[in-house]
Amino acid sequence: MNQVKRLFTKTFAVFIFLTLISSQGFLYAQSSNGEALFKANCASCHKPDEKYVGPALKGARDREPSKDWVYKWIHNTTSMVMTDPYAKKLKDEMGGVVMTEFPDLSNADIDAILQYANDFKPAGTATTTGPGGATSVSATPSSDNTVLYGILTLILAVVGLILLQVNSNLKKLTDEKDGIKSPQPVPFYRNKAYLLLLTIVLFIFAGYFLVEGAMGLGRQQGYQPNQPIYFVHKVHAGVNQISCLYCHGGAQDSKHATIPAVNVCMNCHKAIKEYAGAPIIKEDGTTLDANAEIQKLYKYAGWNPDTKTYDKPGKPIEWIKIHNLPDFVYFNHSQHVKVGRVACQTCHGEIQNMIQVKQFSDLSMGWCVNCHRTTNVQFNDDKGNGNKFYSIYEKFHQDIKDKKYDSVTVQMIGGTECGKCHY
Amino acid sequence: MKKIRILLSFVVIIALATMMNSCGNKREPGRTYMPDMAYSRAYEAYAPNNLAKENINYVDYPVEGTIRRGDLFPYPLPNDSAGYAMSAQIKDPLPPLDSTEMKEAGRLFNINCAICHGPNMDAQGPLATGGKIPAVANLTLTQYVNMPVGTMFHSVTYGKNNMGSYASQLSRRQRWMVIQYVKQHQLAVAAGKASATDSTGTK
Repeated sequence: MNQVKRLFTKTFAVFIFLTLISSQGFLYAQSSNGEALFKANCASCHKPDEKYVGPALKGARDREPSKDWVYKWIHNTTSMVMTDPYAKKLKDEMGGVVMTEFPDLSNADIDAILQYANDFKPAGTATTTGPGGATSVSATPSSDNTVLYGILTLILAVVGLILLQVNSNLKKLTDEKDGIKSPQPVPFYRNKAYLLLLTIVLFIFAGYFLVEGAMGLGRQQGYQPNQPIYFVHKVHAGVNQISCLYCHGGAQDSKHATIPAVNVCMNCHKAIKEYAGAPIIKEDGTTLDANAEIQKLYKYAGWNPDTKTYDKPGKPIEWIKIHNLPDFVYFNHSQHVKVGRVACQTCHGEIQNMIQVKQFSDLSMGWCVNCHRTTNVQFNDDKGNGNKFYSIYEKFHQDIKDKKYDSVTVQMIGGTECGKCHY
Repeated sequence: MKKIRILLSFVVIIALATMMNSCGNKREPGRTYMPDMAYSRAYEAYAPNNLAKENINYVDYPVEGTIRRGDLFPYPLPNDSAGYAMSAQIKDPLPPLDSTEMKEAGRLFNINCAICHGPNMDAQGPLATGGKIPAVANLTLTQYVNMPVGTMFHSVTYGKNNMGSYASQLSRRQRWMVIQYVKQHQLAVAAGKASATDSTGTK
């Protein structure tokens, strides 16, 4: 019994050690503050070293027209773009797109982000070939690390087990020498220490997968169905810069973002009969025959491209809905797009870089509530910026004027009440 | 007996864990708890319905002649050459837009029109410059500056040449708003004041 106890203590020590080692990744994430902040706040519109939706962030501090301009700009884009000449120039260069303001970022945070951008080095050729763009590039090294840690953990576990075996054998030898009778050797499958270890490991693993699986029920993050037409958002929203609202206009007016009817596709595809852009590489490595997909569209529309008439009866395209919320949750697009002024990419990810759309967020309640807790509502200010919808919250406006606090989150106006979404 | 029970509990746990994780196929939406709470029994937008099969009388479109509350009266002219010729006499039913409405009209223009006509209306939109859509109208040319608003509305409503109909994307009121925005910008060009700042309609 004593031996079992000692064995257990040792096993436990090894276990703790391994757990500590495997949590290195967590420590890493905290050390690179600028990178994390950049990915969380800026990456949907900025790239460190090249122009994207917004300008490249590398060397931003060298370009700014006056000292500390960048702080003022990030904290208050809406009024800067009206008054500051450099901001106006930037807006024109970016095709009239104005950056979302980030009043919550401290000057130190901004410094960290810009420092990260200045130190950024492109990850070799992978950036140009990977279809996922920046995301796939940044994902690769981190997954490599996981594998490395896994292998390391396994090796250490095996070493630990061997050492334990050696230890027990040596002990048996010394015991024999000293003339102490060792107990009858038990086969390993009846050895209580091994059984205990196995049970613990099994329960931890099974418990992990059980909890993970149970939480995953009803969620479908990463859902990426094959659509009836291989529609490539990267070409439409990315390369050709068609506004999301051109096709999904309902997002600003109604609960649904609306799937465009075939006539909206035909607005452009009456003239665009062939795809002439860069080849589109599908996930399985084959090149997409984009012209065949356009022909499929013509078949749905009943359009004859030779005579330029609709000479056959059309039928709707049965697109597969990707983002599904359960029936007991109410979600309204217009509320978020028009009133909250949330960018599409905040919830849907970098759609403009997706070849096939997949669900970016897990659409869980925790995800919703977290955003409602941290997002500031855009109150109307004296200069007429912000959103007049919120003017009914007179007390909050008064408190802001009295400098009790400088911003109001969605939660403070009742955005986390159960009845807001469940009724 | 006890061993069998322990073994059985292991098997059950592992089976449960694998079952719940088995829906890892990204082409499938996965399983849900209590499907009767997750999927709506009422007909949802964009969901297929069986109304026709159930012999329930159902029309997919608004009844002909109905007008949405708050919207303008329907456009009276037909989509043919005679209608196009007569469209010059149609007058803009909206009063001149104030600055916020003009800003909104500019936003609508930039979403729906600027991809071809360009934010400065000089046919320099991303789809026009690459030659993807040929012969995009440069709205700053004299013929478009002098074009009556009614004819513009006719073209936006029914489409013209390579341009499609925007009746499904913009309501009648929105179409007139956009035309006022275009006219205002054209005047600015004619007066030689067209700068990039004007194109966003913030003035």
